[in-house]
Parts: sequence; structure tokens; C-alpha cells
Amino acid sequence: MAILADRNTRVLVQGITGKSGILQTRSLIDYGTIVTAGVTPGKAGTTVEGVPVFNSAAEALERVEANAAISFVPPLFAKDAAMEAMEAGIKLIVLTMEGIPNHDVLDILAYASGRGVRVLGPGTAGIISPGKCKLGAHPARMYREGKVGVVSKSGALSYEVSKTLTDAGIGQSTVVALGGGPIWGTTQLDVIKLFNEDPETEAIVLLGEIGGGTETAAAEYIAGHVTKPVVSLIVGRAAPEGRSLGHAGAIIRGRAGTAESKMKALEEAGALVATTPARVVELIRKLG
Amino acid sequence: MKLYEFQGKALFKEAGIPVPRGVIVTSSDSSGLFAPSVVKAQVLSGGRGKAGGVALVSTIEEAREAADSILAMELKGEPVKALLVEEKADIIREFYLAVTFDGEAGTPLFMASAEGGMDIEAVAEKTPEKILKLPADPLWGVTDYKIRALADFLGIEDKRAFADLVRKVWKLFREKDAVLVEINPLVLTGSGLVALDSKIEIDDNARPRLKALFDEKLAEQAAITGAVPEEDSGTITYVPLEGDVGLISDGAGTGMLSLDLIRDMGGEAADFCEMGGLTSPEVMYAAMDRVFSDKPRIKSLLVVLIGGFNRMDEMAEGITSYVRDHKVSIPLVVRLCGTMEEEGKVIMKEAGLPVYDDLLTAVADAVRHSGEGR
Repeated sequence: MAILADRNTRVLVQGITGKSGILQTRSLIDYGTIVTAGVTPGKAGTTVEGVPVFNSAAEALERVEANAAISFVPPLFAKDAAMEAMEAGIKLIVLTMEGIPNHDVLDILAYASGRGVRVLGPGTAGIISPGKCKLGAHPARMYREGKVGVVSKSGALSYEVSKTLTDAGIGQSTVVALGGGPIWGTTQLDVIKLFNEDPETEAIVLLGEIGGGTETAAAEYIAGHVTKPVVSLIVGRAAPEGRSLGHAGAIIRGRAGTAESKMKALEEAGALVATTPARVVELIRKLG
Repeated sequence: MKLYEFQGKALFKEAGIPVPRGVIVTSSDSSGLFAPSVVKAQVLSGGRGKAGGVALVSTIEEAREAADSILAMELKGEPVKALLVEEKADIIREFYLAVTFDGEAGTPLFMASAEGGMDIEAVAEKTPEKILKLPADPLWGVTDYKIRALADFLGIEDKRAFADLVRKVWKLFREKDAVLVEINPLVLTGSGLVALDSKIEIDDNARPRLKALFDEKLAEQAAITGAVPEEDSGTITYVPLEGDVGLISDGAGTGMLSLDLIRDMGGEAADFCEMGGLTSPEVMYAAMDRVFSDKPRIKSLLVVLIGGFNRMDEMAEGITSYVRDHKVSIPLVVRLCGTMEEEGKVIMKEAGLPVYDDLLTAVADAVRHSGEGR
């Protein structure tokens, strides 16, 4: 099972002929992900790593099967590409690029919600269901198949904690990074709901950071609905107040967004709260 | 890009949103001063009125005095270099109106309050029910029923004029790639609705497609501050801190985690420097340059790299070429793993630089070295 991406995922790579597109397509295929098509306008008839390239998503879907798209399209053209993929019938879009204009992101999300499309990102490292499918930038050796679901805003932090889990012999069902921009599609809450319903996920790791209220919203849901154990790590305890630390969300607004307030909300919701990746491993181990 | 009030009002005027007649002056002997008028400091930070940066004057002498005193001020660390001198408005009522976006919901958001004026943050905190927050659909725009809801909440009678203004604000928000358009206060006068203030922020991500607007506004700002118009700053986020352990990371999440771990182990970071998740040898080089030039007295440098999109061979190239070009006399603690790590480790080894795999060990060593250097 896993969530969002598994052995049934058939991937369309948008912007496949760019530097990132080529490198990442190779890495997806090396991992065993089934990439059925690539799209770059004007490049139809060529191939990248053996994957046929089409001029548009619609053309690609007439010829091959695809149910998810990962986009490496440059920021100013990302909106057009995302809408094209949605209109062609894709139901899951992973937007890897940072720097997409905010109004374009708003348009993409509005268009997606009208069509029942799930958008991950923008600025996301993507999804990996170890042993089944990699739909993102995850370095493969840091993952192994298992039963812990991981959700994180930050891509790098999701690699870091997964690496610590994997080094300790604890595998993951799916690891999802959401992206660090000021606006994003899928939230922690959305992913926690999916993990809670996924029979292959036995415990959930929630990685959060200072700023915003999404971890607090997730905590409310955890308290009322989540039956599986949740272990959480919130970073930014030592961050200076009121300063943006890269992620637009990571700026403290009032008391709501501090590491302490989030840790408290999660603790009260019944989650186990860690302060280091090593402690996340210890807490998962104790669950047995 | 944040705009000064007068720059925002130029955009309002262009969009057909009424603003008071006004002039920009940069000295108290300017012939532009007039009275009666309102003399307002032009700064990018908020809270200007409370800090004394706005004066109502009735005579030209008062105008000169106010100009002198406000031009000598520093508001939240920002020296006042220009004033906007405007006609006084005959205010009947004051409102707050803004459009921005709710990042967590992923939608544009209108905000309105009948408690317009200086302290909207206090209203938001103490009486949130006095602010109406209305999400809008970016594709449909601001619909008539939403405008009616806003007008009813504010108790505005002339709904036609208000609707016209709200549509113009929305159009400006969309066409200029604004992340915030705020009018506080929007006032009702004998001659209709007037925007007495403006706070506009344009999305830096839209700079390539709004080049003319960015060039014009940044040049205006540079003319006022005397600084060189800022270049596109790239993906590096740099925040100076107080400690002596230099820190560079290729992700904000791992950067914050490292900050926490440094403190947990008894150290203090000298900075937070994050390069973004898709970066290059040049950015790695620039990040080291940034930290060493801003913090020449750091006792150790911790570089935390974990590559996804980011390639470790490229990071190693950036680090080794920086070390080749500069005399780095403090311990360099580089944790490097992820995409192309084998290639990266070879490059580091050839340059005689050690590489860590475990983050905790790396942080512990960086903190230990900083202690030894004291």
C-alpha cells in the first residue's frame, strides 16, 4: 500500500530535458520508479534515459499511461505546465521548483482543488515509498522499506531523520516532504490522515519547524482522530525570534509559531516529542 | 520588494484608486512644502505614526519644523530620508482594507475592519471578531457577493463606489504580483473613499516578468537611501547571530536542527546560512565567503550537507576551491552525504579535508573546536 506513490505509480516527468530533469529522471529509474513519459515543448520524438519525450502532457497521455507528474519546469513556466498536466488528467503533481511566483501557485492550487488533484509543493523534495517508488529527490541509501510514515516540511530534514532511522534498522512506509514556500498544497494534516488510514504504516513521524500553525492544526487532528503512535521533532528551538530562516513559514508570529508552543500542543495531543533525530529513533524503538 | 508609501500610492493612482494630492520632499527648505498638510516619514517598516513619524501641520513654519524633526529621525533602525507631504482629508470614517494570501489555506485573502487607523495588530490580537477575513478564488476574482459581504461588515452605504475600489485593489494585487496590498486607513470623506496610506509588497519571485516595475521602484528607493539598487540575492538566506560556530546548510530544516544541536551541546552559532535545496559550487563558495567576511572571528565552521537535488560533488568543489583561494586557519567540519556523495568524498579527500557522515558527531566536533579556539 504505502501512501501517494507505490508500485502502481506511472510517472510523467515535466521539463525532462533540462539539467535537473535528466539527472533526476535517471535517479528515479535507477530506483525502480516506472517513468512512462517526459514532456518538453518542442522536443517530441527524442528520448531521455530511454523515456519517450512528448510536446505536451495531452500528447503523452494519448500514447502512454501516467497517473502522477513530477515537474522540473522553470519557475515562470511551472503554472502553465501544471495546468496542462491537470487538464490531461493527472491527479498527483509534485512541484519541485522553488521560486514560482506566489500568484501562480495560488492559481495552480485553485485549479487543482476544482479538479480533485493533489498538489505537493512547490519547492518539495517529493515522495518516496522505499522499495516501491521514488517520486522525488531522495538519496536512495537513506531509506529502507518498513512501517514508519514520515512527513516533513523540509526535504533535507526528512532525509536526515530517515537516514537516522535507516541507520538504526528502522524502515519507512512512505516519506513525504511538503516544501518550504510561503504557500503550499498538501499539508502535514493531509498526510497524517493518509498515514492513519494506511494499513502498512504503524507509526507516524511528524517533522515540523517554527512558524505558522500547520503543526498545531495537525496536533488537533491527532488528538481527535489518530489511532497510531505519533513521534514529533520540531526544529528551530534555538532560532532567533522574528527572523526568517529560509523557509517563509519559519518566522515566529506571536506565540503560536514557536517551537515550544508546537511541542506543547503535540504533547497534549498525545504525540511523543523528540528534540533530536537520535531521540526519534529511541522513541520509535520503545513502541516495540 | 516592499514599497514606500509614495510608491504604493503611485500604483494606486495608476489603478484609479483615489489618493490625496501630495509631494515628496527630502529637505525642510524644499519649495514643495505646503500647509495645512500632513507630513509623513517614508520608511519601509510599520508603526511609523506611533513613533512620531507623522505630523499634522497648519502653517508653513510648522511644516518646516516637522520636516526638520522627522528627517532627523530613525524609525526601527531606518533613517528617514524622504517625506510625503499631503493634503489633509476631511475624515468621516476610517476603515482597514487589505488583500494578501493565506499560505496554509493556499488562497488569496481579503481582510477588512471598521477599526481602521494605526493599530490593526492590536485589533487582530484583542478583538479578532472585528476583522473580517474573506478568502477569494484567484481564478474567479472578487465576486459581487464577497464585495457585498465586505461592505455590509464595514457598514458602507455607497456600495457602488466601494465595489469599484475593491475591484481595483484586486486587479492591482493580481497584475503587480503583490503579496500584500494594504490600505490603513481607507477613509470616507465628503468626496468619497480615499486611500490615506499604502503598504504594498511585490513578490520577488515575479521579478523576471515585472522587470520594468522592479527597476523603476528599486532605482527610486536607491535615490532616497543613497544605496546601490539591490541585485537579485539568489537563494542564500543569511542571518547573523551572536556565537562563534559558523554554520552553513543546504536546507532550512537541517540548518535549524543544527542550530538547536549546537546549543544543546553547549555551543552558540555565529550565523544561520542556508543555500536552498538546489544549489551549485558557486553558491557553496559564495556562502563560505559570506560567513567568513561577516564573521571573521568564528572558531570553527560547520557545513551540514545532505543532498537530494543538491549534488555533493558540486558542494565539495565549492568548498575545496574556497579553501584553495583563501587561507582558512580554523577547523572545517563538513558533514556531507546524499546525491553523488562518493564523488564528493573523493574531491574532499584529494584536498586533504575530512568528511563526516553522522550529524551529531559533526556538531559535537564543531562545538569542541570552538571551545579550544577561545
